[in-house]
Amino acid sequence: MSDPDLDFTTGESGASATYPMQCSALRKNGYVVLKGRPCKIVEMSTSKTGKHGHAKVNMVGIDIFTNKKHEDMCPSTHNMDVPSIKRIDYQLVNINEGYMTLMSDNGEIREDLKVPESEVGKEIETKFEAGDEFMVTVIAAMGEECAIATKVLTSK
Amino acid sequence: MFEATQNVMLKPTETWREALLDTRVMDLFFTVHRKIREDSDMAQDSLQCLAQLASMHGPVFPDESAQVSYLAHLVEGLLSMINGIEIEDSEAMGISNIISNLITMFPRTCLTALPTDLFTSFINCLTLLTCSFGRSAALEEVLDKDDMVYMEAYDKLLESWLTLVQDEEHFPRGCFVQPAIQVFNSYIQCHLAAPDGTRNLSVNGISSHEEEEINELQEDDRELFCDQLSSIGMLGRVAADHCIPLLTNLLEDRVTRLHGQLQRTQQHLMATSDPESMDRKVLDDLYEDIHWLILVSGYVLADDSQGETPLIPSEVMEFSIKHSTEVDINTTLQILGSPGEKASSIPGCNRTDSVIRLLSAVLRTSEVESRATRASLTGLLSPQMGKDIMWFLRRWAKTYLLVDEKLYEQVSIPLITAFGADTEGAQWIVGYLLEKVINNLSVWSSEPGLANDTVELLVTLVEKRERANIVVQCEGWWSLAKQFASRSPPLHLLSSPVQRTLMKALVLGGFAHMDSDAKQQYWAEVLHPLQQRFLNLINQENFAQISQEEAVKQEIIATLEALCGIAEATQIDNVVQLFSFLMDFLSSCIGLMEVYSNTPETINLIIEVFVEVAHKQICYLGEAKCMKLYEACLTLLQVYAKNNQCRKRSDATAEEDQYQDLLLIMELLTNLLSKEFIDFSDTDEVFRNQDQGTPASSRPVSAADVVLYGVNIVLPLMSQDLLKFPSLCNQYYKLITFICEIFPEKIPQLPEELFKSLMFSLELGMTSMSSEVSQLCLEALSPLAEQCAKNQEKDTPLFIATRHFLKLVFDMLVLQKHNTEMTVAAGEALYTLVCLHQAEYSELVENLLSSQRDAVIYQRLADAFNKLTASSTPPTMDRKQKVAFLKSLEEFVSNVGGLLCVK
Repeated sequence: MSDPDLDFTTGESGASATYPMQCSALRKNGYVVLKGRPCKIVEMSTSKTGKHGHAKVNMVGIDIFTNKKHEDMCPSTHNMDVPSIKRIDYQLVNINEGYMTLMSDNGEIREDLKVPESEVGKEIETKFEAGDEFMVTVIAAMGEECAIATKVLTSK
Repeated sequence: MFEATQNVMLKPTETWREALLDTRVMDLFFTVHRKIREDSDMAQDSLQCLAQLASMHGPVFPDESAQVSYLAHLVEGLLSMINGIEIEDSEAMGISNIISNLITMFPRTCLTALPTDLFTSFINCLTLLTCSFGRSAALEEVLDKDDMVYMEAYDKLLESWLTLVQDEEHFPRGCFVQPAIQVFNSYIQCHLAAPDGTRNLSVNGISSHEEEEINELQEDDRELFCDQLSSIGMLGRVAADHCIPLLTNLLEDRVTRLHGQLQRTQQHLMATSDPESMDRKVLDDLYEDIHWLILVSGYVLADDSQGETPLIPSEVMEFSIKHSTEVDINTTLQILGSPGEKASSIPGCNRTDSVIRLLSAVLRTSEVESRATRASLTGLLSPQMGKDIMWFLRRWAKTYLLVDEKLYEQVSIPLITAFGADTEGAQWIVGYLLEKVINNLSVWSSEPGLANDTVELLVTLVEKRERANIVVQCEGWWSLAKQFASRSPPLHLLSSPVQRTLMKALVLGGFAHMDSDAKQQYWAEVLHPLQQRFLNLINQENFAQISQEEAVKQEIIATLEALCGIAEATQIDNVVQLFSFLMDFLSSCIGLMEVYSNTPETINLIIEVFVEVAHKQICYLGEAKCMKLYEACLTLLQVYAKNNQCRKRSDATAEEDQYQDLLLIMELLTNLLSKEFIDFSDTDEVFRNQDQGTPASSRPVSAADVVLYGVNIVLPLMSQDLLKFPSLCNQYYKLITFICEIFPEKIPQLPEELFKSLMFSLELGMTSMSSEVSQLCLEALSPLAEQCAKNQEKDTPLFIATRHFLKLVFDMLVLQKHNTEMTVAAGEALYTLVCLHQAEYSELVENLLSSQRDAVIYQRLADAFNKLTASSTPPTMDRKQKVAFLKSLEEFVSNVGGLLCVK
């Protein structure tokens, strides 16, 4: 892909990885692409240059995969890219050489995701070793995927 | 700082009469000031003394004539002081304080009893001083000084003018007109650019023009300077004959110039390839002029109103009536109705009603703005000016649109003819405003402040039934409604708060008078699409699978946002329909909680919908409806708890997300509890027709159950880290204090763990949080202790806990530094705790006394403790005794408080 403006698509269902949105319509708790990374917006404010100037939007976002903070400012009439975010819960079936075996709701199995090197990763390993039955939430955006949460199945 | 704390009004007793009424005493102070005024520190002190003398009142004056001659002497002294000197910067505030004190403290009869010459000189001096301080204040702004002494002094003098002018009827008729003109003119002059004005001109006449970064937290001028503007507005009314035509002329002139400048700029833009080369200075100067002219006009023509219907100010009404015989109504209406044309180009334009003409000038400004947007010159316009126009029109509409003759003793024919009920003028202007609103919402979606002022104008147009009735007859209204319902551009570009308010307006409009077909059609176009699309979506078989698709998530978020907006539209006369409509959604929302359990931003918004519904509606709901809402909230909380149990997240925003959820849940619980305080429902009166046969006796859920269940969820999730978020901390303590106050009987029944954490929270709040929180916790203790006393069971966990609190409160009052406002809350708590645990209290006192080595201190303490409890032995839970105890406690604290804290 030589054209940098071209949206690339994820493998599934042909949905585009990002879509444009006017800055003013972005919202705190929403998502935006900052410095090429999918971020959750944690702070949003407006400012202007001079009393009769036009609004600019200042944003602080946190990279949903690396937890890194990014900031950006742009005129509020501009469009920003918003990443399509997906969260899917899988049941953890096995861990094999650092890779998780995950089963989705409809019984499909995938084995292509690593146990992340984060607290959740440790949590997954501990729980797995303890023989707990639990779900793993996987977040996906812009072609990247990562496990971000666990939930033990409570028998009720 | 010095002045603020020291400005205590002087009210000496009779014994001071001889000394203070001796004119030589006052002369002495004037003389002292004259001698030391070069030294800025000492000058402030001597002016402070004079300000104190200027505030003197009370029994020191034997009769009014003594007061008058005292005042006369004071004013003479003041005038000769001011007239003989060039005022130093350090004197400005002191002098303003003297004037402000004497105007506030001396009765009007004293002022009017002054010799006429003296009174006139005083008013003239005040006028000159005000104008001069105003100019110096403007200079301070240009120089961007940190210490704005003249601005503060100017504020003080303008405030004094307001006091004088409000009591105008006591003074000789018209005596304030000339001064008002002068002060008004100088204000306008300071706010207009050269050559008419002096804005941004520094002392040497050089204009400065800097563009600074302004963030959203900075207040708009209309709020920042609202006190100044109120005074200037009032003075403008006093001299309406001069001021209203002046504002009109200036504004019409600026608008014509703006129009021309925009045209020239457009030609320039077409000729050049580099739009950045444009100098915006001329435009910005015009915008700033228009900005101030509109603000002042708004403050002259109308008052700010909270809730009630604001009246046309009597001065403005009289002004319009006085000239109504010279006015040609048709020309006036023609000028009003043709905002696209230059007012002066219309024949007979000199014979128009000035009040209407001023509104017309603002409409002309608005029209120039609209046309510029159509010519794609939006980038050149000032969003600030757009905001000013919206603000003005909103303020104007509340007061003038459909003016109700019954509210006035006499009415102006031009005003009634132009804006009265059932007039073409009113209809035309509603249509015009609506069109403007619609245009703004599409052009200015990127300007949150302007978009917000715009939807607020729309709300104003529909929140009163009479206005709404005209609005819904406009085609534009219906297309706006349809457009918003279809979520097509450009309305969906608006920020979410603006979209909510728009939804609110659209719902309010639906309760206007329409024939039943129209009404049905309206709801079919506004609310039903929302419901239909939502139901279609969530009832799809594969909804769970597609729920994470972006389009689906957006639809859900848009629906939830709209629900918040609908809840905001609740009024007592529409709560029946809106409640039923929203309840249907609330149950579906609970299903969404399951589907989106891993999507925090959606969960957060769902809880917010519940918060809004509870916030806006619960006070109107009768018992049966309330039950339904309680049940829904309870289910919501159960699902939330279940989904978060055993869930572990480690992403960066996990804590922030949880904080937001908890904050909302606590808000929800507090809203549910608020029913105990504010209840407008008349035992289901508003719902009577609907609810027949619902047995109220079978109360399945009570507020207490829901709230305690909610606390059960919230408490384990609360951590000391989370309490570091101040808003969360306050909300949390507000909630638990509420619970202790409203349901003390439920506290002993709590599960052990919950009970323990509640008690621990109280202790933590009392000892290591802000004083506000600490006060809340203290307030929670009395009802708990009373509950124990009522039960008379010893050794229950609550009984033991209160014993512990006794020691805490005792230590706090006796041994630790605490601020005085806390003494009352702590005292009340201490008293009930002492009643409950008398033996332990005596023990605490004994221990404290026996630890004293110093015999003198021992004795003082022992006496103080004896006195403290003497008024109530043995202490009982009796109001009278409690009050007596609190009184002796105050003495106790001032007597021995310092004694023990020092160590």
